[in-house]
Amino acid sequence: MTGEEDDGRPSDVTGSGPCETRLWRSLEELAGSEEVRRFGGAEFPEAATPETIDRRALLNLMTASLALGGLTGCAVNRQPWGAPLLAQPRLAPQHTPGVPLIFATSLELDGLGRGVLVRSHDGRPVKIDGNPLHPASLGGTDVFMQAEVLSLYDPDRSTVPMAGGMRRSWDDASLYVTQLSHQFQANAGRGLHILLEPCASPTRDRLIALARQTLPEARWYFHAPLTDGNTHVATARVFGRPLDPVLDLMQADVILTLGGDPLGAGAGHIRYAADYAQRRHARDRPLPRLYSAETSPSLTGARADHRLALPPREIEALARQVLDLVRNAAPPPAAPQSLAAIIAGDLRRAGAGGLVVPGREQAADVQAIAHAINVELGAVNRTVRYVEPIIQASTDQSSSLLALAEAIGRGVVDTLLILGGNPAYDAPGDLEFADLIGRVPSSLHLSYYFDETSRVCRWHLPARHALESWGDLRAFDGTAGLRQPVTVPLVEAMTAEDVLAQLVGEAGDGHAHVQATWREVWGEEFDARWPTALEDGVIAGSAAPAASLAAPVGWSPPPAGPPVAAGYSMVVFAPDPSVWDGRFANNGWLQELPKPFTKQVWGNAALMASDTASALGLATGDIATFTHGGRTIEAPIWIMPGHAPDAVTMTLGYGRRAAGRQGSQRGFDAYPLRSSRELWALAGVTIAANGRRDALISTQHHHGMEGRDIVRVVPATGPVNWPVEPRRSMYPDYVYDGNAWGMSIDLDLCLGCNACVVACQAENNVPIVGPDEVAQGREMHWLRIDRYFAGVPDAPETYFQPVPCMHCEKAPCEVVCPVNATVHSSEGLNEMTYNRCVGTRTCSNNCPYKVRRFNWFNYNQKPPAAPDAVQNPEVTVRWRGVVEKCTYCVHRISTARIAAKMEGRPIRDGEVMTACQQACPTRAIVFGNINDPDSAVYRCRENPRSYELLKDLNTRPRTTYLARIAGLGRGSVGGTR
Amino acid sequence: MTDSRVERSATEAARIPLSPRYGRGWLAALIASVLMVLVLAYVIAELVVAGIGIWGTNIPFVWGFDLSNYVWWIGLANGCSLFAAILVLRRHSLRTAINRFAEGLALFAVICAAIFPLFHLGRPWLFYWTFPYPATFQVWPQFRSPLTWDFWAIITHLIVTTMLWYVGLLPDLATLRDRARTPVARRVFGSFALGWRSSVRHWAFHQRAYRLVAIAVIPLALVIQSTVAFEFAITLVPSWHETRLPLHYVVSGLESGLGLILLAAAALRGSLRGIDRFIDDEDMNLIGKLLLANALVACLVYAGEVASALLAGPLMVEAILNRLVGHYAGLYWGAIALSVLLPQALWSSRMRRSNPAGILIGLGVIAGIWLDRLSIIVGGMQRDYLPSTWRIYAPTQPEWALFLGSIGLFAAMFLLLMRFLPVVSMSETRHDEYREASS
Amino acid sequence: MSRSDYGIVAEFASANGLLAATRAARDAGYRRLDAFAPFPLADVSVVLGHRTAVVPLIAATAAVVGGGLSYLAQYWMNAVDYPLNVGGRPLHSWPAFIPATIIVSALWLAAAAFLTMLFKCGLPRFSHPMFDVPGFERASDERFFLWVSSEDPAYEPRDVAALLQRQGAVAITRLEVTR
Repeated sequence: MTGEEDDGRPSDVTGSGPCETRLWRSLEELAGSEEVRRFGGAEFPEAATPETIDRRALLNLMTASLALGGLTGCAVNRQPWGAPLLAQPRLAPQHTPGVPLIFATSLELDGLGRGVLVRSHDGRPVKIDGNPLHPASLGGTDVFMQAEVLSLYDPDRSTVPMAGGMRRSWDDASLYVTQLSHQFQANAGRGLHILLEPCASPTRDRLIALARQTLPEARWYFHAPLTDGNTHVATARVFGRPLDPVLDLMQADVILTLGGDPLGAGAGHIRYAADYAQRRHARDRPLPRLYSAETSPSLTGARADHRLALPPREIEALARQVLDLVRNAAPPPAAPQSLAAIIAGDLRRAGAGGLVVPGREQAADVQAIAHAINVELGAVNRTVRYVEPIIQASTDQSSSLLALAEAIGRGVVDTLLILGGNPAYDAPGDLEFADLIGRVPSSLHLSYYFDETSRVCRWHLPARHALESWGDLRAFDGTAGLRQPVTVPLVEAMTAEDVLAQLVGEAGDGHAHVQATWREVWGEEFDARWPTALEDGVIAGSAAPAASLAAPVGWSPPPAGPPVAAGYSMVVFAPDPSVWDGRFANNGWLQELPKPFTKQVWGNAALMASDTASALGLATGDIATFTHGGRTIEAPIWIMPGHAPDAVTMTLGYGRRAAGRQGSQRGFDAYPLRSSRELWALAGVTIAANGRRDALISTQHHHGMEGRDIVRVVPATGPVNWPVEPRRSMYPDYVYDGNAWGMSIDLDLCLGCNACVVACQAENNVPIVGPDEVAQGREMHWLRIDRYFAGVPDAPETYFQPVPCMHCEKAPCEVVCPVNATVHSSEGLNEMTYNRCVGTRTCSNNCPYKVRRFNWFNYNQKPPAAPDAVQNPEVTVRWRGVVEKCTYCVHRISTARIAAKMEGRPIRDGEVMTACQQACPTRAIVFGNINDPDSAVYRCRENPRSYELLKDLNTRPRTTYLARIAGLGRGSVGGTR
Repeated sequence: MTDSRVERSATEAARIPLSPRYGRGWLAALIASVLMVLVLAYVIAELVVAGIGIWGTNIPFVWGFDLSNYVWWIGLANGCSLFAAILVLRRHSLRTAINRFAEGLALFAVICAAIFPLFHLGRPWLFYWTFPYPATFQVWPQFRSPLTWDFWAIITHLIVTTMLWYVGLLPDLATLRDRARTPVARRVFGSFALGWRSSVRHWAFHQRAYRLVAIAVIPLALVIQSTVAFEFAITLVPSWHETRLPLHYVVSGLESGLGLILLAAAALRGSLRGIDRFIDDEDMNLIGKLLLANALVACLVYAGEVASALLAGPLMVEAILNRLVGHYAGLYWGAIALSVLLPQALWSSRMRRSNPAGILIGLGVIAGIWLDRLSIIVGGMQRDYLPSTWRIYAPTQPEWALFLGSIGLFAAMFLLLMRFLPVVSMSETRHDEYREASS
Repeated sequence: MSRSDYGIVAEFASANGLLAATRAARDAGYRRLDAFAPFPLADVSVVLGHRTAVVPLIAATAAVVGGGLSYLAQYWMNAVDYPLNVGGRPLHSWPAFIPATIIVSALWLAAAAFLTMLFKCGLPRFSHPMFDVPGFERASDERFFLWVSSEDPAYEPRDVAALLQRQGAVAITRLEVTR
């Protein structure tokens, strides 16, 4: 009897549960097994070794492993964690072996949920995409959601409990935990201190509440390096109690961002980006105007109509001025308009359509001012709504890491349970937290890796991966979504909820805990709602309502503090676009992902403006020593065009010491410099060059367009008119009756967020090559995002341009291939035949877009390579010595073609989605049949903004671009397009 | 009596290359070059096992040392064989002195050249896929690709150069057979001599065939140099995409060939006592003048390159200027200095006659053309359409090893040639002296 | 096993001697002659009436045939047998087929010339009665030989010997082969 039947879901879904369980397990093993890889390898004739197994041997193998699979399948049901649940979102096909299953579940970032759909091939999750039903995704993804599946198969993940550095059996471990629960149930939890990551999980909150009752003396703390922002302090100042702002960019006409990166980072940014894109191209409304005041370049700033590069203290000054100007009457028109006045004017004009968004790293005053302006504009409940804190647990100071440190200092901590997180690494440097943990008599760390914290704790328990575990998460707007396992657990491990449940003595597995939570909520509706919620991945109508605010008009900020002494001493901390707070450090896809602005990979650097650097006598690559309050770190410098003067930006999450084989000893660790009192901006840091240099690895070395027609920009108002060169070719045209696939990329919507790049890598088994190879210039990304700076170096315009294969109709690459390894398909795709390629690389020579990649080594077998289990079975894993490139996800096309054939209909527009298109939060990428006048891509190509890259070469690309729309003039009236 | 004089000197001529007067110098040189060949073997093994990632190449520099060395070697080969063929057809007296080793040098250069296109492949063991045979794929080679043309070019060059060399060698092989001291040598030379009986009838057909093969070589050398140039000119890379490129390759290729001949001739005169009676000052004088003339033509070609680029589109201007002043400018100016300026020394007849000068200038010209190839290929690839992809390329140790190894192979083959085969055609010598005597 | 007469071979010290002797032999009506010299002797082969024009003829034909075959092969493979849309170029991209055509025809030209030579000279032939002539190895070095075949209609050993003697032969050999 497995866990499926008693939840009463429709039998068509559940009935096949147990057997599917077995089937998965077996095929999973089969697919993972050595023989099968060799069998698949036989597709390459030259790889065929004498011992390649024949058909009979394979059949033997299959039967054998099916039988074994049956056994393990039975074993699964006896596991403490229970059987995985089979579920599908609505409209997903019924499972037949070989046909992928799709699961809805939730992934967490900053403790908030983002709904995803996981595509699983015969039990192997291989691809993650956004859940269209989930408010935090709407089908879009970001790099972290995409890359999570690689972490699932991370060979470096922790697999066994450890105690005092020794491997221990699970029996010992659970014995230890049981002892703890008995001991503390006896003494009401005195001396028990529990440190958790703030997380908006109803089940976890329920268990914590339960534990607070049964163990009243236990102390609870919450820490995550990035969520300890000033948001709640600020909202408390303005509204009297902590609240969370939830933006509605669809309504916004004029937006001012004070730091932060609402469109590019954080738990809600995918939704915000989608809303902003939709608002931007809303037919009937003028273009919105976006002002960004920020210290270091962000995707939002790059998208802004006006970007102001300001050091933190000037951001505060600006905020104060804008608040005054919004409150008081406009300044005398005679006076030259200050920027603040212009912004304030726009905001006043926009009224309720105005919006001010503070970054979480801004000082409490700045954030409070921003909220005050929103109140002033009447924007509350229009462009922004304030809701009760989504993450309830972590609102009071008594539960901060600081409090825990003090408690340990006082010596009152007998037992410290650290359930998740990595405080020994990411705690502010001044706490010396690793040493503090060492002082605790008995400590336990539950984590996915045996990381820095695990090493200083007495006990370490391996944690489940999100894709292996049950749970529930609330999104940035409060919407709750369920988390369900999409695979059998790959190793025996626990979740934080499991530990809590054991502490309070609640029986059952994760499945039971979550069900219990929602039984309480739903009562007798439970049986009806549970399956739907599982299939949707979202609990309908659970979004947080707007909090009722006692109209707090008239709050005014305290007078500004003493101005910080000018000097190049302000250090600003930011999450890293690739490894976030460090948790993704061992993820090869993310490590090798070029950061949006620097295009740096496999490391981080201290960003500063060129003036700042020259004043310090530093150049890009120089290593400088940063000292503050006796704490010192060394970091390489990166001169960042558009960075505010008088400030340095350090991204967190690098310099890991125990991240795993890929993540350790990369970049520098900024946490030691961080202060528990000033988490985000640190004044008075002394910076000195120390003469050494660091070879920073980047994938782009030229940053200007050299005056070439590469990224086109059209005025916000008025018609597009660029010369239309006549098309002449000496060659007769091939006719593509039927489908002719094409892609259109809207540079006005592209934020440069990189989601498409990781999506492409995950979908197409694009190898990870490692830092040395990238330094050589051999990164393999099929889709790259070129970043160009234009205008003045101090305040440049930043343009992003995704560059996949153009699939030229007159493809230059094909003509020079001596062996017909790359030719055109009947639908106009430029196809690469890997096993025909001999590797002359001349095709790359003749590709003006340089989108072709070459396997210089056998990258899929070298250490940084992704594990075989994560490889997409629908895409060939390329071998050494062959050229590869973007295929327009040809395997998705043929899947759709087969489906259409079986239903005897043509392929519908939008039925084929390329991986990059599916991942894009702003829907900047459109793919389809350019022969079909009703298709979206056809309309895009007809758009006056549409143009071809390097048109003069007359290669006739199937991939076209829509020109970016120039920023609006200050205070001018927005046009429409 | 005149005839007897002919006979004696002819005998001497025949004896020179085979005389036991090859001292330690020759042996040392042979050992050194054989060691380099071993290095070559090692690098090739490493290449096949590990993959061409051991090179410094990348995207966009998918080609580096591999192709530039190939182009360099094939240029040497074409230069030599073109020169030799012309001499044969012109029945020029110089041919007696030069032809034999000119043809040999050409052959060895082709062999060295062939190494690079073969092992620059990502999967070298599949090179034969460029050959039209009924494959299991059922797909044929793609004949629009200059690489396919080049496949034919290399094979043909190898065969025809061998024939030119062999046909010329046939009578001398008979001589060696007839004068062999040991039965083994007699058997070996005999089997290569194919039973040549120096019948006047043989001679008649031999002369015809020799000239016909030479005739075949002339268009071949030109077409092959152009084909090599097409591999670059056909692509969209701005600084390659020029119709003038074949001309450039022909001219500079011939120059490097002449440089090699000058080098070899001077070296032979320096090392083999007595040979200067057969490669005399007049011969050296003539080679020198030819090289000088060729250098002047090369100068013209270089000028034309800049001029045509400046007349072309902005991208091409930028690409050329980048070669002149950019990261790889050193290669370009080195090429100019060595292949255009250095040969100007040959205006002086003393230089033309001096062996050391001949060796230096020969080496210089060859090096200059090598730099020119590198400048065209590497320097040319540095600037193309999307600045986001611009990078730098630098050769790695294995690339250098491969290059030096090929030179070692070349040297080894030449040393063995001059040890075991007559470097000067005996029959031609006899013939000449007979004609001198009878005229 | 009988030893049969193969003809008379006379050795001469100089090319002029050989030329004179050859002329004399022709004038004396001998038709089945062959001369041997360490280098080409055009006038001797004129006297013996060698026709070599066939070599260039065959070579030229071969060049045309080879080139034609090469072009047709390229056309057939890329346009007929396995047509593929390569970079939107026409299937029959004739300009692209020309370089290989030229190269291959040159190959055929050279090869044909070489093979024709071997064929017309009856090479390779490693054993030949001439090699039994004492001192014949010097034919490839400094000596000149004239051979009158025993199958010549006018062959009469004593007369031949006498004739060659008169022409100043250094040595005269009566050559016999075992049949």
